[in-house]
Amino acid sequence: MNPHEPTADPLGGVHIKYLRHCPRQLWLYMRGYRPEANSDLVAFGEVVDATTFTRRRHVDLGEARIDWVTAGAVIHETKSSRTPSPAHEAQVRHYCLLLERRGINIRGGILHYPLIRRTTDVPWNDDARTQAEDTETEAHTVIAAPTPPERLTRSKCRGCSYLDYCWGN
Amino acid sequence: MPAAGRTYWLTEPCRIRREDNSIRIERPDGSPVHIPITDIRDLIAFDHIDINTSALSLLSQNGITLHVLDHYGNHAGHFTPAQSMASATVVRRQVDITANPQQRLTISRSIVLATADNLRWSLDTDLLDPALDQLRTALPQCDSNDALMGQEGNLRRTAWAVLDTQLPPWLRLNGRTRRPPTNAGNAFISYLNSLVYARVLTALRSTPLHPAIGFLHSDTDRRRNTLALDLAEPFKPLFAERLLKRAAAQKHLKETDFETDVGRAALSRNGRKKIAALVKEELATTVYHRTLKRQVSYEELIHLEALKIVRLCLEEKTYKPFRPWW
Ligand code: SF4
Repeated sequence: MNPHEPTADPLGGVHIKYLRHCPRQLWLYMRGYRPEANSDLVAFGEVVDATTFTRRRHVDLGEARIDWVTAGAVIHETKSSRTPSPAHEAQVRHYCLLLERRGINIRGGILHYPLIRRTTDVPWNDDARTQAEDTETEAHTVIAAPTPPERLTRSKCRGCSYLDYCWGN
Repeated sequence: MPAAGRTYWLTEPCRIRREDNSIRIERPDGSPVHIPITDIRDLIAFDHIDINTSALSLLSQNGITLHVLDHYGNHAGHFTPAQSMASATVVRRQVDITANPQQRLTISRSIVLATADNLRWSLDTDLLDPALDQLRTALPQCDSNDALMGQEGNLRRTAWAVLDTQLPPWLRLNGRTRRPPTNAGNAFISYLNSLVYARVLTALRSTPLHPAIGFLHSDTDRRRNTLALDLAEPFKPLFAERLLKRAAAQKHLKETDFETDVGRAALSRNGRKKIAALVKEELATTVYHRTLKRQVSYEELIHLEALKIVRLCLEEKTYKPFRPWW
């Protein structure tokens, strides 16, 4: 049916975020439909990102760009969102997994929500590792599917930058 | 909506320069205008512009297209950013679909039919009904794009004759002429068609599609973006014929808004301004979209049309060309 499948490249944070938000979004993203490049919301996220923490070091793994890593191998991730979500934690766990595979002895992660002045700890242990690996497998399955996953219910699509595509007919 | 920012209509001669991260537009009269680069979606030059490479680089970095119309309103060309949003997966599918004669013909046919329906809608008269019936009977038998285009041509000729009956003598088309348009009516249509084409091209640039791989228009002419031409078809009546009719009814356009010569006509500077205002207003007009559940502007309708082709390529969703539903 669809002879041009994207290859199973290593996954970055954005893939995990999209998978958790909506598998269909991940499927579309992997095929090069990326409306969020033009979206105001994304631009806003970048502004928060660029102004909140000044003394930090990005870690660039190619597939993922981790906000910064502090001494003792703690991964930090900053969110412009006001609502902490399981998707954010999944993303941090994915980073832990990626760094661990590179031989780094990870202690855990911390999510920062500067807009609400909150942080959330994301522990790294056997349980977390299993979760991260399952998420990764799930993402690869979604990506490899020949047809896109069904839409979410209309109300869950609110604010999604893929809305025009999914519902514009 | 794809990009943030607006379309800037340059209806007067001007100079365009870069100043930090904004664009400075200098007109012969008046002080320069500064526009933050993020406020610009694209630029349409109706008149002479003088632009330098540093301004062009800034446009390019920010994904902004500059469209150039010639004196007669033809789309003379455009400057597009080096980076496009095109995706290999989507473009390969686009090529597959357009290379399949059956699939291609089906889509072409639906474009021709929708365009005809939209013409009927725009002219709002039953004088066109016999011609439309004839077209409906003829289309299934057309087995090539040339045959389809021929049918479309027939219908358009009838439609223009009908439109002429709704226009004052000085604005009548008396048959379609281009390069150059021979009279005011034709000059108007040329401008409007070019503007629709420019809007479609800008919309396509925000999708993973390649604008040059299309269905209906012949791709032997390598200078043209056939997909943009195709998708412009169903929208042209909504803008060109309909606005011509309206401008005539409201006596909004005057003979003095055109520079007419023997066998050629173009809009005057003032006429260009009027048309830009007219189109701007029309593009901003909104209608309620049933599945998006919100008001969408005509401009967004063009963007949604481009997304339908993306859906066709990614999910094999049948492409149903735009028809006004209101
Ligand atoms: S619009 Fe809805 S279905 Fe489409 S990608 Fe977004 S969340 Fe998923």
